Amino acid sequence: MKLELADPILWQSVQTQIDSDFGEGVTRSILANRVPAVIAREGSQSIYLIPYDWMTLADENLDDFEMHHIGLWLGDMVDERFRLGLPILEHLSTLTENIIIVNRLSAESFTYGKSIIKEGVVRLNTTLKRRQRVVVIDQDGQVIGLAALSIDGERLVRLSKEKLVAKNLVDIGWYLRRMG
Amino acid sequence: MICLMSRRELKTKAKELAKRYGYLPYMIERYLSLWGQEETLRFLSACEKPIRTAIRVNPLRNDASSTVESLERKGVGLEKIHWLQYGYYSDFKGYSPGSLIEYMLGYYYIQGVPSMTTVEVLDPKPDDIVADLAAAPGGKTTHLAQLMDNSGLVIAVEQDKSRLSSLKSNILRCGVTNAIVLRGDARKIDQTSLEPTKILLDAPCSGEGLIPLDPSRKTSKSMADIRYCATRQDELLDSAIRRLAVGGEIVYATCSIAPEENEYVIDDILRKYPEIRVVPIDIEFGSPGYPNPYGVQLDDSLKHARRFLPHLHGTEGFFMCKMKKGG
Repeated sequence: MKLELADPILWQSVQTQIDSDFGEGVTRSILANRVPAVIAREGSQSIYLIPYDWMTLADENLDDFEMHHIGLWLGDMVDERFRLGLPILEHLSTLTENIIIVNRLSAESFTYGKSIIKEGVVRLNTTLKRRQRVVVIDQDGQVIGLAALSIDGERLVRLSKEKLVAKNLVDIGWYLRRMG
Repeated sequence: MICLMSRRELKTKAKELAKRYGYLPYMIERYLSLWGQEETLRFLSACEKPIRTAIRVNPLRNDASSTVESLERKGVGLEKIHWLQYGYYSDFKGYSPGSLIEYMLGYYYIQGVPSMTTVEVLDPKPDDIVADLAAAPGGKTTHLAQLMDNSGLVIAVEQDKSRLSSLKSNILRCGVTNAIVLRGDARKIDQTSLEPTKILLDAPCSGEGLIPLDPSRKTSKSMADIRYCATRQDELLDSAIRRLAVGGEIVYATCSIAPEENEYVIDDILRKYPEIRVVPIDIEFGSPGYPNPYGVQLDDSLKHARRFLPHLHGTEGFFMCKMKKGG
């Protein structure tokens, strides 16, 4: 596994997907003064944001070592679909209106990999549309994951309390589940 | 005292204590030779008691005092560890320390007191390039990043593929952004062009200090295992020292109490590399290293190394030594 600068076509695709999900210019704000770098794995490419001068690490003699991680993990490109990584969500939540706030019970259930139903929703922007990605935040303002809306936001008030509102894409419980 | 005990008496006493406490006799023989009977008994008794849980709060993810307040509101008992900036003895009142949302959010890390101490002893600064040469599961890597305020560079090296996911998870969970993770044999670090200004080598060891946490260690390792570990530790430290920048510092640590894996390893290195010297640790904790274990005279500067011992400090057994590379 070697470190490479993200090629422009790949980066354009990542940028398009993030901006279309969360708003024009969001990717540029996240990138700030860093550069996107890639570590290719079997079946996927992991995208990282790193300070520009770290690219010299790509030229270091590290032949006996495989690079598995560097800097800030943005997410993975799998089958041409970009999947955002958890570490970026907190910053992302400050740049986008795509947010769902959930109550304590729903937050706990979400961190176990469950999706969000109507009775757990505290606030959702009514202009959001079905399939849009939303950052999931608990009532204390803590970012706990990412979900995909199953309904248009304006339909929320008409739903019965047990109906699915947003499907869990990734949550902070993943850190523990991943460790096994 | 052991100096008054004949070889035969020592063997007989070791056999008796080994049977009483469930150890292999060779271990007790070594403890008796090292400490004498009275201290050995205190050690064996302390190893039967549980070690207090400790956590390190993580200001990379949340203000430290807010995390403390939040945990205390949930009923977690916290007691500051006086020589550590962010370490607390913790009583989770029967709950799993890893079950709280604050843990998932990376606001704290569950970590042994000696492990936290090694990082504070190394004292990394924001502009350092630090290599952590046996990095999984990431406690020290994330602590290094924390003390460096996510600046500079932490090179986390781990060979064991199955432990890489815990290392990466903890890096992500704790909000670390100044680290790279390399998989490979740290003994080959000298074949890279990296030049760390600081190195942390918490070397793989026989784990003889972990008996209070893992009683199976009383019978699971032979003297040959300790010798094998010592050889590997020597190779790791040798490679690390060759790669360390001139003027750089290295902390060598193990969770073993065996002088064979600690003072002896350092003594070999000091003989081999005159540019390396042991430097005093300017934090007050633990007790001095052994420059004269089993009556064997080693480099006197080993008194500047430090040990944690269950019967003296209420922690798992641990060794650490700080060295500096001259020009």
